[in-house]
Amino acid sequence: MEIIIVLVILAALGFYAVAIYNKLVSLKNRFENAFAQIEVQLKRRYDLIPNLVETAKGYMSHERETLEAVTNARNQALAGLETAAKDPGNADAIKELASAEGALGSALGRLNMVMEAYPDLKASQNMMQLSEELTSTENRVAFARQAYNDQVMAYNTYRQSFPPVALAGLFGHDHDAALLEFEDSAEIQAAPSVSFS
Amino acid sequence: MDFFGAQDTARRKTWQLAALFAAAVVCLILLTNVLIGAVYTYTARPSPTGGIDFNAALTDMPVGYWLVISLAVIAVVALASGYKYLQVRGGGRAIAESLGGRLILQSTSEYRERRLLNIVEEMAIASGTPVPPVYVIDEPSINAFAAGFSPDDAVVGVNQGTLEHLSREELQGVVAHEFSHILNGDSRLNLRLIAVLHGILFIGLVGRGVLYGFGRRGVRRSSGRGSGGAPMLALGLGFLVIGYAGTFFGNLIKAAVSRQREYLADAASVQFTRNPAGIAGALKKIGGLGAGSSMSGAAAGEASHMFFGQADRPFLNSLMATHPPLAARIQAVDPRWDGRFPAISGEAADTPADGQPGVSGFAGGGQTAAPAHHAGDRPAHNAGDSLEIHATPDHVVDAVGQLDDRGLDQAAALIGGLPAALRDAAHDPFSARALIYALVIDRQSDARQAQLDHVDAAAEQGISLELAGLLKPVETLDEQQKLTLVEMAVPALKELSEAQYQRFTSNLVTLIKADQRIDLFEWVLHRLLVKELKGHFEGRQPQSARYGSIKPIASEALELLSALARAGSGSGEAMTAAFAQGSAALEIPGELNRAEDVNFARLNRALAELRLLKPLQKPRLIKACAAVVLADGGASARQGALLQGVAAALDCPLPPSIYTAANG
Repeated sequence: MEIIIVLVILAALGFYAVAIYNKLVSLKNRFENAFAQIEVQLKRRYDLIPNLVETAKGYMSHERETLEAVTNARNQALAGLETAAKDPGNADAIKELASAEGALGSALGRLNMVMEAYPDLKASQNMMQLSEELTSTENRVAFARQAYNDQVMAYNTYRQSFPPVALAGLFGHDHDAALLEFEDSAEIQAAPSVSFS
Repeated sequence: MDFFGAQDTARRKTWQLAALFAAAVVCLILLTNVLIGAVYTYTARPSPTGGIDFNAALTDMPVGYWLVISLAVIAVVALASGYKYLQVRGGGRAIAESLGGRLILQSTSEYRERRLLNIVEEMAIASGTPVPPVYVIDEPSINAFAAGFSPDDAVVGVNQGTLEHLSREELQGVVAHEFSHILNGDSRLNLRLIAVLHGILFIGLVGRGVLYGFGRRGVRRSSGRGSGGAPMLALGLGFLVIGYAGTFFGNLIKAAVSRQREYLADAASVQFTRNPAGIAGALKKIGGLGAGSSMSGAAAGEASHMFFGQADRPFLNSLMATHPPLAARIQAVDPRWDGRFPAISGEAADTPADGQPGVSGFAGGGQTAAPAHHAGDRPAHNAGDSLEIHATPDHVVDAVGQLDDRGLDQAAALIGGLPAALRDAAHDPFSARALIYALVIDRQSDARQAQLDHVDAAAEQGISLELAGLLKPVETLDEQQKLTLVEMAVPALKELSEAQYQRFTSNLVTLIKADQRIDLFEWVLHRLLVKELKGHFEGRQPQSARYGSIKPIASEALELLSALARAGSGSGEAMTAAFAQGSAALEIPGELNRAEDVNFARLNRALAELRLLKPLQKPRLIKACAAVVLADGGASARQGALLQGVAAALDCPLPPSIYTAANG
């Protein structure tokens, strides 16, 4: 008699544990799927940058350093993206990507400032189209990032709530996923220091 | 196959399922009682020979035990089923995720994924159902599934092997098979089956748990009191036996419900594509591939009846297989088959034509190995043609949920005829929202500026720029194309996060209301979108049909007919005549509601109630709607799209094949 009651209670607890496990897995799946969105848009951005550099080269041969800095930052960010895409749950990889993105952002910011001195370049059809595409891609990245961060928040919140927090570690969900925050603050701070307009 | 009949059959199968389930539970209760009784007898009064006297087992045990044991079994089964039910309640998406599926992004540029999405989209548009999200499971075998409570939350999933090994036409055959499951309500039945079976299978798991626990304790305290151990061992073993009995019943039920439906889905696939070679080829490749259609994931076992091919290797093949034998299925669609399976090399059936990497839009997406566009004499919808419906209301009713190769051609042409910029926008979650906004923004009115300002202020950064680019191409569209675009944008919109979805819908409502007057077509678009996205984001299964007759909701039905009649282009007299035709088809007399101001809140409620009609009652309602719209002998593209939209909102997918080109 008691054994049966115990069994039923155990079964109920077991179900609850399994439900928590499944929910964790499903929330993790969701933010990983959301990362795929960012990946698509960031890749597109990284594909555009070599064209940008190529186009700029023709006009500003004296600014090799700036252009190389952009190319290097782009390659770094691409590497960061590839690492992060393998395991979006790895907070360090996400932070790495975020800082590489930040570096790329400020390199591009510097390029933009330098470009102010080359009105021909700015007015060229090719350049205008490229920067238009970059802006549009930027917006998409921001949007995909928002979706990703929403899903990460949902995962983290669930993971930290009680009772899941008691079991999350046991189920291999032992740390929060990292939000993807780009450090565009550096870029924003750098921009006003040189103003051509 | 008749759509409403199939829906009804699926519904009645649910009752059959319930009966079988009840029988299985009673058997389990009896078995458990005998088992525990035997253990009781054994411990209380060991027989001299060491054997068990089964008569004594049943009579010795006090009656109170019987009751407690029976209740306990019921409690455990109910707990297990209830838990599983909560899990599958998330709908198709939850199932795909529990099977380890990875969502294919609508904006993918990977050739095989793009091709699959194109096929799914074409098929959905052709059948008038929302385009389902598509998942890939990382398994080398050839298999596929469809899951969901309704077309709104349905998802389609395929194995990686399916993507790699099948040609376009074989893939199309498989997708058509899955669509038949969605259209016929099988996928809903299958989800319930998962929940119910879990309750029965669970007792076996308990047995395994007891044995496992006993094994560990036995090792640790081998010198302890030995007498407690033997009954526990017996109990564990017993549960295991009962569990296997449960599995046996479970598989019997699965097989009973599932196998016949697989033949039906195969037949439907041939009907949809008019191309037996597609599905037959896919089935043959399952036979030829070493991995076949087997699934290795843990969750695949309980979902085995959902798949395209047999996912597990059952113990008693003929009795408990969820799918008919492969050879029999091939024979059924291809009677001239010689019984040989093709050898499958590692390489795929066909590869991108000239290695073009970024196959964006639709047209470049496939090599069209399928027989699309083969017959030049068919009137397909070309951009610029205006479409009309020349059919009787009865024809319209017959077309619900039907699909054939003509419909597929038409859908392909319809999608292909859309401006590429709009097609791409519909495939990207970022621009899909801008596209929907663009569809509801007024062409010229004072409200237009207010609407644009609202998007500027309330939508995410960059959206208004995107919107500005889409406004122009949208102006050239007719209503049918608009409806198609909305359906195409649905899977991309399902990729939004919850917060983004909330923002999107609230913006949409503001935009629609901005001009102080809601156009009926706008209303239909909005209803459709809300209905299709709600199932996904709120993960609630649709309410079950409540009304066995139209009578109790006659006023709601007449309200809808009035709205449709008023939307016609005719004069007051034509309106009255159209309404009269509808009310006659409904066999309910009524008065046309002439109020100029449509009360959309009331119309929303009416539609919500009408959705709860039982499947066999719906044809009459659809027929009445069609009668109103077709009152003057035909319908323009605008009226047709209105009819299609209303039907879809009532869960009755109308294929675009009801249209014919006006000049064709």
